[in-house]
Amino acid sequence: MKLEWVDYLILAIYFAFVLGIGWRLRKSVESSRDFLTSGRSVPVWITSLAFLAANLGAQEVVGMSASGAKYGIMTSHFYWIGAVPAMLFVGIFMMPFYYGSRARSVPEYLKLRFDEKTRGLNAITFAVMTIFSSGISMYALGLLLQLVLGWSFTASVLLSAAIVLVYTFLGGLTSAIYNEVLQFFLIVFGFTPLAILAVVKAGGWSGLQSRLPAVMTHSWQYVHTASENPMGVDMFGLVAGLGFVLSFGYWCTDFLVVQRAMAADSMSAARRTPLLAAFPKMAMPFIVIVPGIAAVALGQMSLGYSLPLKAGGGYDYDQAFTTLMAHFYPSGMLGIGLTALMASFMSGMAGNVTAFNTVWTYDIYQSYIRKGAPDAHYLTVARVTTVVGTALSIATAYVAQHYNNIMDILQLVFGFVNAPLLATFLLGMFWRRTTGHGAFTGLLTGTTVAGLALSLTVAENKGGWVAQLHRFPSSMAQNFYIAIFAWTACFLVTVFVSLFTKSRPAEELHGLVYGLTKIPTETGVSWYRRPGPVAVVVIVALLLLNIWFR
Amino acid sequence: MLDLRTPTGWFFTILGLILVMLGVFAPHLRASLSDLNVNLYSGMSMLVFGGTMLLLARGRS
Repeated sequence: MKLEWVDYLILAIYFAFVLGIGWRLRKSVESSRDFLTSGRSVPVWITSLAFLAANLGAQEVVGMSASGAKYGIMTSHFYWIGAVPAMLFVGIFMMPFYYGSRARSVPEYLKLRFDEKTRGLNAITFAVMTIFSSGISMYALGLLLQLVLGWSFTASVLLSAAIVLVYTFLGGLTSAIYNEVLQFFLIVFGFTPLAILAVVKAGGWSGLQSRLPAVMTHSWQYVHTASENPMGVDMFGLVAGLGFVLSFGYWCTDFLVVQRAMAADSMSAARRTPLLAAFPKMAMPFIVIVPGIAAVALGQMSLGYSLPLKAGGGYDYDQAFTTLMAHFYPSGMLGIGLTALMASFMSGMAGNVTAFNTVWTYDIYQSYIRKGAPDAHYLTVARVTTVVGTALSIATAYVAQHYNNIMDILQLVFGFVNAPLLATFLLGMFWRRTTGHGAFTGLLTGTTVAGLALSLTVAENKGGWVAQLHRFPSSMAQNFYIAIFAWTACFLVTVFVSLFTKSRPAEELHGLVYGLTKIPTETGVSWYRRPGPVAVVVIVALLLLNIWFR
Repeated sequence: MLDLRTPTGWFFTILGLILVMLGVFAPHLRASLSDLNVNLYSGMSMLVFGGTMLLLARGRS
């Protein structure tokens, strides 16, 4: 892929705008709350697009189109059975507790609801995970730009990290959120034309259907048993593992996304943030997965396009997206597409940095290292943490470059860290009797069970270090089932221990637990400003999509 | 606080202008697989979006 001066000009304009937004917002930061929680003042259209964009890293774009090329439209399950129902749940049922409590972060909610040790466990795991995720995605971006454009790994990693650092340092969470919205629009404008051009060239959806095996263009028809589909997953693993445990675990408990909703300017806005984000989320498969599917069809049409091959043989699916761009975008639009790829990386990284920042400053530093200092002190700590967090991410990117296998394992582990946590939150929010001891033991057991399951089962050469009691048809199936085991273990142990330990008195749990919290009912505002009706519209659209592509 | 629609509007107006100019003055700039003047059409859609954002921002303030 070759860039012209105009493409660099577009990239430069983008950098100027994101830095400019950070510069303009620097004055809005007067306290640590402004810097770390946006002072709960962001309009709902902004929080909902940021909610989506913070999760939409470059890895997701490239990975999802790669998965589209490899598995076909079944990849849409990550959106249409995974993400979207979970987003509805967090908006309707969980946000009243997150936003309604005085918590500034997800770990702090655990402290208010349970106790110090549960918070500590969650805060530390989350902090470590965020830094690693940010580093791994930085590594992926550096590698991609090196491969596609021949840019130096160090230069692209340092430049993109420096820009994210400057604008989050200046304007804190508000700046990260505002830029995420700009980045989201750029992603839409940069990637949509590619999807349209590639699909039209391949003869539309019917053209794809006639050129590809039926399993590539149907999402539900081949999941009754694992052997029918290339993903190697079955209906139960898919619905319970991905649709319930993994997706709900991520969208309902991961502070990275929840933080965006908690920055909204009112309870109603906080609840509608994930609901409104569900609309663009439902459309994402058309922009990221469908081009991958089209790439396979185009490769069979003798147009001079083919998926690149890996050195070791087989297709290099990760290059599907960028090679399509090179074949469909002329200079100018190519600059937009590439800038959009950078933007998706930056929005993901800023998400990690700001979430790490808040958890480190409030849940670790203020709770365990230095209590009761004046707010100005914590604001300084937060600013310094932005720099340290970015530096740690860069260091991780270099570690990833040298120890690829360790990163592979870590990613596997992160895959199910949120799984037991979901059980903790569901019980904590909806069963008054749940105790801190129960939550803590449950979390530890859940995580241990996940680790055990991974070391006792094997799939595609992953896991099974201790013994190989069971072989899963694919590592995706392994991931789904481990998540189910971890969730179940955490759920049962939490219930069991809670029944034998003393629960907190009801008056301490107001605003934290279902039944002791006033769930806001909204009357006197038009239906599209109320969470319930918006959720119904999302559900109908979701059903139609799943039926259409079944 | 900053109205985000203003910088978003300017950003897409500028990008849209660049692409439309490319589309008009270099209409034969094509990638190997596209038969369309991609720059022109994408540029126009960005101009429309950018302009709408700027109008909305002005209408509110």
